[in-house]
Amino acid sequence: MAVHHADNPADLSELLAQVRQGFVPAHVYNDEEIFSLEKERIFGRSWIFVAHESEIPSPGDYVVRRVLQDSFIVARGEDGVVRAMFNMCLHRGMQVCRAEMGNASHFRCPYHGWSYRNDGRLFGLPFHVEGYGGEEGFARHGQRLLPAPALDTYNGLIFVNLDPSPVPLRTYLGDYAYYLDLYTRQSPEGIELHGPQRWRIAANWKIGAENFAGDSYHTPQTHISVVEIGLFREPKANKRKEGALYWADVGGGTTYKLPSGTFEERLAYVGYPPEMVERMRRTWSERQRQMVSEDGFMVSASTLFPNLSLVHNWPRVTADEDRVYPFISLRTWQPISASETEVHSWFAVDVNAPQEFKERSYKAYLMCFGSSGMFEQDDVENWVSITATAGGAMARRLLLNSRMGLDAAGKPLHPPVAGYHGTGTAYVGYGEYNQRALLSRWADLLERPMPGMSRTTLGRRVAADEAGQGEGEDS
Amino acid sequence: MSAQVDRRQMPSLPFDDPRHLVASRFLVDEAYLLDRQRYEEWLSLLTDDVWYRMPVRVSTGRASGFDTSPGMDHFAEDRYMLERRVRRFLTEHAWTEDPPSRLRHHVTNIRTSPMQADDELFVESAVLLFRSRGDVQPPAFLSAGREDVLRRTDGGWRLARREVFVDESVLRMQNLAVFL
Ligand code: FES
Ligand SMILES: [Fe+2]
Repeated sequence: MAVHHADNPADLSELLAQVRQGFVPAHVYNDEEIFSLEKERIFGRSWIFVAHESEIPSPGDYVVRRVLQDSFIVARGEDGVVRAMFNMCLHRGMQVCRAEMGNASHFRCPYHGWSYRNDGRLFGLPFHVEGYGGEEGFARHGQRLLPAPALDTYNGLIFVNLDPSPVPLRTYLGDYAYYLDLYTRQSPEGIELHGPQRWRIAANWKIGAENFAGDSYHTPQTHISVVEIGLFREPKANKRKEGALYWADVGGGTTYKLPSGTFEERLAYVGYPPEMVERMRRTWSERQRQMVSEDGFMVSASTLFPNLSLVHNWPRVTADEDRVYPFISLRTWQPISASETEVHSWFAVDVNAPQEFKERSYKAYLMCFGSSGMFEQDDVENWVSITATAGGAMARRLLLNSRMGLDAAGKPLHPPVAGYHGTGTAYVGYGEYNQRALLSRWADLLERPMPGMSRTTLGRRVAADEAGQGEGEDS
Repeated sequence: MSAQVDRRQMPSLPFDDPRHLVASRFLVDEAYLLDRQRYEEWLSLLTDDVWYRMPVRVSTGRASGFDTSPGMDHFAEDRYMLERRVRRFLTEHAWTEDPPSRLRHHVTNIRTSPMQADDELFVESAVLLFRSRGDVQPPAFLSAGREDVLRRTDGGWRLARREVFVDESVLRMQNLAVFL
């Protein structure tokens, strides 16, 4: 059936109802109308991962990151506070920072020379007196680069939100925080993040997000070559299908079922040295430990809605057949258009890991994921092809099948895992539970209009009685 | 350390120096193999201790003193890692290269310089990779500078070290299922 005109609420509701059932009109993976709604209603009010605190450890350190086309300078001020500032000069709109990383006490706009401290405050304004009549005529005091409407962190992960009054990040994460910890808090000090590699793929951003959220089904097919060459031992022998697929509030992921053993034995099986296992044992909650020790599930790929994905695998990276080394990667699927995505892929490792482990784990990352990774190479080939085909007229007549795990009446084929120690709901066996959960959330947001958007008042000329209130700072 | 700025400032060898001719021929013959994806033969041109690296390039201020990502590469490979990648292409299930890309490595700007050891040469070159897949997507390009160390062995000249300085901070190529 042809589903069209996303701007017609009735048509949109019909389309979204189908999506929630697991019947996905193929054109949603390459449709400019859908994409413009996504930009407004999803990326305009979701928490979006931009950086990790370890990327900017010292005062003055900064990275420049985008949310859609909006560029933000994510910088640590002299006061140690991390801020995200809209990278557009208050004067006539030039980008005040054109590097993507570095260390700076100030950012000077190349156009007319206004300069800003690394906390965003306007500092220098050439010919202030002659051109503006000085502080009387145009108050430099109190002006600052527009802050991101909202910024919040979890385990050092920095998120921004274009909605100025979102739910707090921790509330947004809900039960998914349990899983985020397993990747980013193997010790109280957490991860250090390296990268990212950046590259553009001619694929819709949702395809990667869905794949990482729950597509264990593709592993034995798409990634058969990495098993054949002995890089990864797990997908064969149906191991993949014995893993649990979990969904918890705002994200979900895949796991592998490990051979029987204790907490320590199972983490050793995936390659963690004893000292790291001991830190995990001390750092994780009892229920987090029990997911390994009792349930025997080890997290693998995962997605936090909308566009942050994580992966944890444990390949062989040396000629020693008996040793595997686990690695963790974070990546964002940054939409460029309905049919193009910029991938940012980072390598993450526990900051307290031994140096030798970090080096081997980095090798493991490079071999498996990222721009050159042998898993990722074949994934992207699929996603590019899907996107191109989804752009045509026939794709508007095709409802893709995302129904795995349901019978014809829509009932789950299997009950959830009983006694599961993780949060959320988990199923064992192949199923598209998480892809449906992700797209259902997507549908809910697409269907909900934005409240009347008021132009942000931040950064405007501050009246005398307001000046100095913002963060109690003084220029 | 700036990748492109701080390298050997020594003058290159004259183009009719036999050592330059050896290096030029090596790179052209290598490109011939890479264009045809004859990767096992390509591996035989590498030393056992080969180090093959492609750092991630970043846009930074001129005064920052660096233009590669600290601690991140597209490739940082020893021989074992390169062999795994080649082994994978030899399976029947490396989907991203089946059907194969049409590849052309355009190699130019070759400069050869002697090294301290007589049996080693430092060779700089530019490479432009053209990659065309299927009939729907436009072709992709990858432009890079390379800094190689060639070493003379009993079996002939071998690539002992390569650093590839790709000229984009954001690659416009779907993956690096290629070698430069
Ligand atoms: S646009 Fe920045 S100083 Fe004029
Ligand atoms: Fe995959």
